[in-house]
Amino acid sequence: MRKGKGFHLWLIRALLGLLAILLLLPMIQTFLYSFSSMTEMQAYMKTRGNYDETRWMDTHLIPDMVSLRQYHQILIADNTVLRLFLNSALYTALILLGQAVVIPPMSFALSKFKFPGSGLIFFVIILLMLLPFQVTMVPNVLTLRDMGLLDTIWAVVIPMWFAPFYIFLVRQFMVGLPGELIEAAQMDGADVFSTYFRIIIPVCRPILGAAAALSFAESWNLVEQPLTYLTSRVDLQPLSTMFNQLAMENTGFEFAGATLYILPALFVYLFFQDDILSGIALTELK
Amino acid sequence: MYRKARLALPFLIPGLAGILIFYVVPFFGGIWYSLTDGSFENKFVGAENYIKVWGNQMFQLGLKNTMELSLICAPSLFLLSFLLSLLLNRIRPAGTFFRSSVLLPYLMPSSAVLIIWLLWFDYGGPVNHLISLCGGQRVLWLQGAELRVPVVLLFLWKNLGFCIIIFLAALQAIPISLYEYADLEGAGFWKQAFNITLPMIVPSAFLVFIICWVNAFRIFKEVYFIGGAYPEEPLYTLQNYMSNMYSKLNYQNVTTAAYIFAAIVFALFGLLFFLQNRAQRGLN
Repeated sequence: MRKGKGFHLWLIRALLGLLAILLLLPMIQTFLYSFSSMTEMQAYMKTRGNYDETRWMDTHLIPDMVSLRQYHQILIADNTVLRLFLNSALYTALILLGQAVVIPPMSFALSKFKFPGSGLIFFVIILLMLLPFQVTMVPNVLTLRDMGLLDTIWAVVIPMWFAPFYIFLVRQFMVGLPGELIEAAQMDGADVFSTYFRIIIPVCRPILGAAAALSFAESWNLVEQPLTYLTSRVDLQPLSTMFNQLAMENTGFEFAGATLYILPALFVYLFFQDDILSGIALTELK
Repeated sequence: MYRKARLALPFLIPGLAGILIFYVVPFFGGIWYSLTDGSFENKFVGAENYIKVWGNQMFQLGLKNTMELSLICAPSLFLLSFLLSLLLNRIRPAGTFFRSSVLLPYLMPSSAVLIIWLLWFDYGGPVNHLISLCGGQRVLWLQGAELRVPVVLLFLWKNLGFCIIIFLAALQAIPISLYEYADLEGAGFWKQAFNITLPMIVPSAFLVFIICWVNAFRIFKEVYFIGGAYPEEPLYTLQNYMSNMYSKLNYQNVTTAAYIFAAIVFALFGLLFFLQNRAQRGLN
């Protein structure tokens, strides 16, 4: 990179550092609060909504006394959070598995094959990508009801297998792969399936990792779909739709719950971080 | 590139079938709903639903708020991510930590950090504390029109990282020699930013711009977390209207509102693509 003036660079670093800390603070604070005792947290949360002009809430970053009571409560004593957590995990796992089967082949077909209508299909995928969920909500409910899937986990899971955004993302990456890859494979006598499994999938690793991580984030944070498709099944709701109600009840264990909720996302992020960065850098996003 | 269409079929069919069944057919099938009256005989009523919904007060409120929120969210997300990526690009390779910390929120479930958000914006909370330390007046962030501030900030917190990553990828693909040449020619920072950087990243910038709008139109999640299913007036979005009509089983109104919304979304993106095409041609 070009050399900037030393002072400027330090100013930029300080500014970005401050911003980075601010962006991470919600997670750090949640984590720290999760080690307070439940009574301490309940008392602290009660100091909210005080309109006395002379009073401020404590900043209170460090717990008075480190305690694992909140974790004991959500993991052993009361299984509400744990059950919702497992629901979320189930949805996410099923969604990602289905996407792994459907999306890479579809992207392959739309990037490395010449056939009539492929342009039209891609255009439709872009249009679908732009639409908010609610636009097709009612017709979707009716379709799912006719198929007998409404109020089952599959109503949430199956439509996500065909999520247009990930087809777009992976397809754009595959378009950028050199044609020689396939020509060389053809010359070696490889058929289209072994080319797909042995060559295309391995070279697409970064974008597949990126798509998996982004899709994880979406599946772990589903709101509209469970609220619409599972109206009569509270027991099937994931953490994402129930957590804020739980948090409003001032139970005292909401921060341990939030930490438990954040942790898988954090692991996925740490594991796929490089894939997200390089996958996006190498994709023809035009 | 394979030229035989037959070969593509096994790869294409499962995905295409799913897209047709779960996205395309419902989209067109719903048009029928918006044109009937929903009674037992399900009579065809033409544009009647559209006229009724368009004149509905709650619909108008939702549409107005969705448009206003999008107009706040999309441009601010775009500009902020562009500026931050310019800054980040200047300090690499030491920028890894910053890059990671802006992207992390994108993967975080927003409802998990919601409690922290409500703490920060409490009347006696740290945000107001900071304002008062700087000599300002406390604000009731969690009521009325001010509620939009925490909602928009939650949206920015979550979405900034992804946009920055796309911008950064484009910035890093610009050959350094271009800048070296410009330095020799004596072009300053701003001149370089507008004459080299901006034209080189138009395609990515356009994509980010589209993503900003797509996500801004989908702001329901943040609204739902902070305001619930029936939020206060300044937060009542079109999606709230549709969800509430849906829970009242008024399918005609939901689909009608949905197609009006879709028409607006498509018209806007159509215009953007048209302008981008013109701009692209102008540059070449």
